[in-house]
Amino acid sequence: MNPSPSRPSAQRTKSTISIKRIMPYLLSLPALSICVGIIIPFFVAVWYSTLRYRMNLPAMWGFIWFDNYIQFLTDKAFWNTVWISLLYTVLTVGLELLLGLGIALLLRKRSTFNNAVSIVLLLPLMTAPALAALMWKLMTNPNFGILSYIVGLIGLTDFRWASDPKTALLTVVLVDIWVYTPFIMILLLAGLRSLPQQPFEAAALDGVPRSFVFFRITLPMLMPYIITASLFRLLDSIQQFDVVYAMTQGGPGDKLMVFQVQAYLEFFQYTNVGRSAALLMVLWLITNILSTIFIKNWLRLRERARGHA
Amino acid sequence: MSLSLRHISKSFGRATIFSDISLDVAEGETVVLFGPSGTGKTVLMRIIAGVEDADNGIIMIDNRDVTNSSPDNRGVGMAFQNFALFPHMSAYENVASALTAREGSATIIQERVNSIVKLLKIDHVMGHSPRELSNGQKQRTALARALVGAPRVLLLDDPLRNVDAKLRYEMRLELPNLLRRFGSAVLYVTQDYKEAMALGHRIAVLQGSRIIQAASPIDIYERPESLIVAKLFGDPTINVLPVMPRLHGDEVIIEIDGVSISIGQYYRDAVGIEASLALRPEHLVVCSTPGANSFPVEIVAETPLNEKTVLLTRTRSGTEVLVSMPAINEGTIPLGLGFVSFDPKSVLLFDRSTERRLRYFDR
Amino acid sequence: MDNVSPIEKVLKLAALTLILIFFMFPIFWILLMSFQTNETILRIPPSIVFEPTLSNYEALIRGKLVSTAGTLDIAFMSNLLNSVILSTSSVILALLFGVPAAYAFARYKFKLGEFIAFTLLSFRFAPPLLVLLPLSLIFQKIGLADTYIGLVWVYQLIALPLILWIVRGYFEDISPDIEHAYRIAGHGWRKTFLKVAVPLAGPGIAAAGLLAFIFCWNNFVFALILASADKQPVTVGALAFVTASGIQYGQIAAAIVLSATPTLVIALYAQRYLVEGLSLGAVKG
Repeated sequence: MNPSPSRPSAQRTKSTISIKRIMPYLLSLPALSICVGIIIPFFVAVWYSTLRYRMNLPAMWGFIWFDNYIQFLTDKAFWNTVWISLLYTVLTVGLELLLGLGIALLLRKRSTFNNAVSIVLLLPLMTAPALAALMWKLMTNPNFGILSYIVGLIGLTDFRWASDPKTALLTVVLVDIWVYTPFIMILLLAGLRSLPQQPFEAAALDGVPRSFVFFRITLPMLMPYIITASLFRLLDSIQQFDVVYAMTQGGPGDKLMVFQVQAYLEFFQYTNVGRSAALLMVLWLITNILSTIFIKNWLRLRERARGHA
Repeated sequence: MSLSLRHISKSFGRATIFSDISLDVAEGETVVLFGPSGTGKTVLMRIIAGVEDADNGIIMIDNRDVTNSSPDNRGVGMAFQNFALFPHMSAYENVASALTAREGSATIIQERVNSIVKLLKIDHVMGHSPRELSNGQKQRTALARALVGAPRVLLLDDPLRNVDAKLRYEMRLELPNLLRRFGSAVLYVTQDYKEAMALGHRIAVLQGSRIIQAASPIDIYERPESLIVAKLFGDPTINVLPVMPRLHGDEVIIEIDGVSISIGQYYRDAVGIEASLALRPEHLVVCSTPGANSFPVEIVAETPLNEKTVLLTRTRSGTEVLVSMPAINEGTIPLGLGFVSFDPKSVLLFDRSTERRLRYFDR
Repeated sequence: MDNVSPIEKVLKLAALTLILIFFMFPIFWILLMSFQTNETILRIPPSIVFEPTLSNYEALIRGKLVSTAGTLDIAFMSNLLNSVILSTSSVILALLFGVPAAYAFARYKFKLGEFIAFTLLSFRFAPPLLVLLPLSLIFQKIGLADTYIGLVWVYQLIALPLILWIVRGYFEDISPDIEHAYRIAGHGWRKTFLKVAVPLAGPGIAAAGLLAFIFCWNNFVFALILASADKQPVTVGALAFVTASGIQYGQIAAAIVLSATPTLVIALYAQRYLVEGLSLGAVKG
């Protein structure tokens, strides 16, 4: 009838404690295996980037440290890739932000009409970018493409869209805008609708001009969402593959040689594994730096926006 | 013993929640775990239920060591403060969940659920989802869920806290009968001292990570072991005056504002010790003339409270003394100078430094 | 709250109309093209009114292409089947792997969890080719190249992070007391997980699953690198289709329509889930 004598320490049976403790590890084991599956190829890629290795001349491979990278510095093709990628990124993200913000502002109020419109506008985002590129390829076909026809009506006959070195970049940027603007729209719309009403009510009561309200109240409070959306799009844009490859495989010439397209061609067309890997490492470095900068700023801006609210 | 706790201790990081808690609850007994919020009462309940681990100590239920058993193996029923009903199941399924684990036949389960929900007067809402129930109904459903399995140990974590005042009062009257029917050992958590005194066969006062007193409600109220316990029970709060008892012949004398009052043969051990004199407001009387055991005050205010009237008085040295008397007509006692008198037998003396009650005489 | 002048209302409506036209037109036009014969397509000016035909779809489904160069066997239907197999299997596997893991992350604080979350998060922003190109060589060595298993496993890189990200939040929103109550009522850990935690996180799991399906279906580069002709999904298949010479344009349009319709239908059907999942994923970070 009497419980154990004074001062016993809990006798923990091995079984209950170990099950409880290893439970989370058991549950995440499969997820862990995926992580391993990422890390191994990653390190292999790092290794490759330090090699001189061509798949069509496998016997001639050699360890060359950072020569691949050093060669980039004087390589015109490399700098072209950098330039085109940056241009592509700035144009797509910049225009998508403006357009996405504009649409979100237009749809800000909750109404059946606005909700229906935002649902419909979701569709381009749900289309495979590669398929979207094909759609636009058909529409810009010089022989039967509806867009070529329309453009011809306003005097721009023989507009070659993606086949023309002068307009190729704009064409793929257009496709990118078509696919990804809804993403920004969703985020900014969610942000706009979650903003507290009081500052706006107060401003309306005080008769504050609308431009002031927009630039000094709306925009700052929306900053965390804008930053988040920009971060996602920036990182995706600089690595864009699907749209460009499906459209022109990097051409005409090297006018659309963004990073991943270039790396792909280096690997499969020129079978230059070393160079391809090195190029991707450079890209990875850029995305890493970008995401770190932005995450730091995002946290800071989120705190500030909370202060405003 | 249905429930035995031995030397339970728990800390989170560097904060000790409690150390060396030992408590027994017998079959059919209701022990109230009482204390202000933040003292770890809920943590203790969770430890007993098995959803949290103690750092040290043993938990025995029906003389079986369950310290390492999982919550589904302990034979415990628990009603949470925020009900914790399953939102995606009907009220019926919520109650039945305590039985479905043991794979009885559906008819038996139905019988047992129906009988208890009828008892708790919620049989008509069993088809609803928790979202559609009022707080009172939710609380009874949670209670039904805890009781339906006829657990050996019942843990009730402040179940009446989120229920409106009127219903709370009703439940306070109904609960003891209900609990008696099931005969489980009940551990009941509350911060309301009136609830504690109404529901518990014994009250365990948890303060500063220990149980400072575990006794029957009367004992807690009339023979509190420390000043903290005295202050926690009673409304208005007990009055405390600093005194230094001395011996005058055969009697113990205390002095309040220069007036010497004898408290007879009681608290002999308090002589010469710096003490705190504690007087319950309802043991005090206000009158306009001095008496044998009275001291002068200024009567400052009068507050009628239904069945009683509370008078705020102030001693010459500025200490406030509250007196609670059966309801009188307003103005019967004029404000201004007066006297407060008390029965020496009702006095409580505590050591001023340790705050422990000094030995009375025969108790 | 705001007094909008009628001019403003008209302008807003005009702007929205233009926007709608811009975003809807390509889908609409390609749909139109898929019902047109080559002659209709090549007619200038392009015609909106015409005699629709189902011959393009017939050809795709039957798998035979009649063109100026003769009769070609087109395996587009097998591409469609591949997409279905790959996307469905990947999502099912990702849910099986990811939901328990998301639960672990939500309920326990453990170093391995932080590590996995960090790795998957950093992969989200890393260039896919960085992993895919070496993987293609590794796969060839271990015999997983051009297999469904290899592809489904690689598709986990798309689906798993999504599932973990979204579902974890939903599990965190469930009060632990509810699970405790079920355990105290006598049920073991597994039953609590299956009967309480999972159903309560249901909407999140559905959202994550649908979103993962869409992303897997729309994927291009993974299959491009790791699959050969017989395992290619529609995204890669459609491109191969287009670049083959002498193809009927109507059939290309029909192929695009067939390829894009599933995800668009899912998007319309489950848009609330998707928007919640997307914004939750992006904003909660």
